[in-house]
Amino acid sequence: MLSIKNLTASINGTPVLKGIDLEIKAGEIHAIMGPNGSGKSTLGKVLVGHPAYEVTGGEVLYEGRNLFELAADERARAGIFMGFQHPIEVPGVSNAAFLRLAYNKKAEAEGRDELDPLEFDDFIHEKIKLVAMKEEFLDRSLNEGFSGGEKKRNEILQMAVLEPKLAILDELDSGLDIDALRVLGDAVNKLQRPDRALLIITHFPRILETIQPQFVHVLSGGRILKSAGKELATELEDRGYDWVLEEAAAGGAR
Amino acid sequence: MTTMVAGPNLLADLLSGPRPTEWASLREAAELRLAGRELPATREEDWKYTDLKALAGLAFGPAPKATVDISSHLLPEMVGTRQVFVNGHHAPHASCASAVPAGVRYFPMSHASEACHALGSIGNGVAKGLFEDLNTARFQDGAVILVPKNLKVALPLHLLFITKAETPIAVFPRVLVLLERGAELELVEEHHGEGAYLSCPVVEVHVAEGAILRHERVQRESPEAYHLGTLKAEVGKGGQYHSRTLSFGARLSRQQPWVRLAEGAEASLDGLVLLDGAQVADTHSFLHHAEPQASSHQLHKCIVDGKARAIFNGQIRVAPGAQGTDAQQQSRNLLLSETARVDTKPQLEIYADDVKCSHGAAVGQLDPEELFYLQSRGMNADDARNLLTYGFAADVLTHIPVASLRRALRQLVMARTQATSLGDLG
Repeated sequence: MLSIKNLTASINGTPVLKGIDLEIKAGEIHAIMGPNGSGKSTLGKVLVGHPAYEVTGGEVLYEGRNLFELAADERARAGIFMGFQHPIEVPGVSNAAFLRLAYNKKAEAEGRDELDPLEFDDFIHEKIKLVAMKEEFLDRSLNEGFSGGEKKRNEILQMAVLEPKLAILDELDSGLDIDALRVLGDAVNKLQRPDRALLIITHFPRILETIQPQFVHVLSGGRILKSAGKELATELEDRGYDWVLEEAAAGGAR
Repeated sequence: MTTMVAGPNLLADLLSGPRPTEWASLREAAELRLAGRELPATREEDWKYTDLKALAGLAFGPAPKATVDISSHLLPEMVGTRQVFVNGHHAPHASCASAVPAGVRYFPMSHASEACHALGSIGNGVAKGLFEDLNTARFQDGAVILVPKNLKVALPLHLLFITKAETPIAVFPRVLVLLERGAELELVEEHHGEGAYLSCPVVEVHVAEGAILRHERVQRESPEAYHLGTLKAEVGKGGQYHSRTLSFGARLSRQQPWVRLAEGAEASLDGLVLLDGAQVADTHSFLHHAEPQASSHQLHKCIVDGKARAIFNGQIRVAPGAQGTDAQQQSRNLLLSETARVDTKPQLEIYADDVKCSHGAAVGQLDPEELFYLQSRGMNADDARNLLTYGFAADVLTHIPVASLRRALRQLVMARTQATSLGDLG
């Protein structure tokens, strides 16, 4: 589904990604872990077309197409979704109206029927159950005045509405208490299907107890230093990141 | 460089007709203050950015009575609580106040007794503005609203001022709102029109102790109109005055709200200004924290396109001894073209030491992070831009309590922000 080859990217002329290789197939769940400032979020944002980052080299194929030929909105309509660490607040636009608009833009692109406000009302009430969101949050302005946890809940609600093929979730657990994390983790698991893939970006292994990856990658200094199965997450929880960095440094010196 | 105002005859012309016989002493005093005055020029600090030169060259005749079709202006919550004024004259057949609860006095100024001493007395001790005096000298009619002690009026009242100018005319709408102790009222005041005209409305408000007035003000004058409005509100101890002024129309408009807060009173003075073409809209507000423990909140937003220009001057005065004052002011402006312009200036004068005052002003374009967020959900760049522009404006409309008015204004804002194609954003 996604094939990343020697990807490099920079922000304001400063290189952040220094050669990333990663293959993600349908049905897989990957976790990207690493210390703060390692470039984890950057990788996600580059994949969804954030304008602050400049792709300086390498290639990314999404379902066989050159990802960088697609604008950010085209990528979204083609099925790529990113749940952000810090979702933006948009005053004056109701959450429900925004969700319906986003749903209909995608439906239109896929040649499916758009939903009118009444039909969407039924549709969204099923979806908010999945993320245990209170109904009042639909009428409020998009993310405005939401707590960190409520914003994350809203990101997963958007994911449930858009049903992406490839979902990238950036630090989903930040701002969430244990119960909310379990609810949202379960929701993400329910949305995962054999024709979909997940890329979980996280500093802490905690979330990987609920959303269990088959592949864990450690990213540091803009490079993937180590890739292994989910047992790597447990090891990182026990031992931290330093040993991976040291191992990589030793390997580089050899 | 300053500009001299030509055509010193405008004021004299406007005052040349016969002085109406009612409220003679009030009018006489206003005329005395106007004697020898000229239209303000841009060399005066208060009018630095708002040039009345084009106005000075025009001649406005007296306003004839006229009939208009008001069906498009009716709102379901307020069909039985409306007073309609056409060209400044009360229109009894278009008005209907049958749903107004007993006890509320709600009638045209022309039916009011001159013993209504409050008229012209709000904000006494503060210098009267030139256009305020002009209104006092020549207002034809207007509305008087008196809500007795502790009466909470369930239905909103609707004041419609409509101008139909076949030739250039001048109208002077007048409103007096008196809320006695503990009374509550919601008031919608709208100005609409067609043709070239000058409208100088004056609204006087007195909110007594513990009373609450919510006041929605909609300015949708014709594109050729001049609208120079004055609002004066005195809010008694623990009273509340919440107003929202929405300016969409007029070639040139100016809003001058003045609010005085007594101890523990609360005020909000929000504004939304949507401009394009060569429109000019000026807001000069004055919030006077005269006594301790009062709070005020002001959010003023402008969206300016084309060669239009918005001016905001927000003055807040905290009087000596007004301890515990909490005053917050925000001026936020969105420029949609290279040639649009906003001049915004907070003006805080604080003479007490235990106060909480904050102000902020921002002028700019849409936030690229917000645009990207919407694009990452599948909206193309144009849709994202239009949705954010709509949201910027609709933010001010969110808390309008009259549902039909809120919907109508959202539709209007959608049309003006090219957001109509996005469908129902309610």
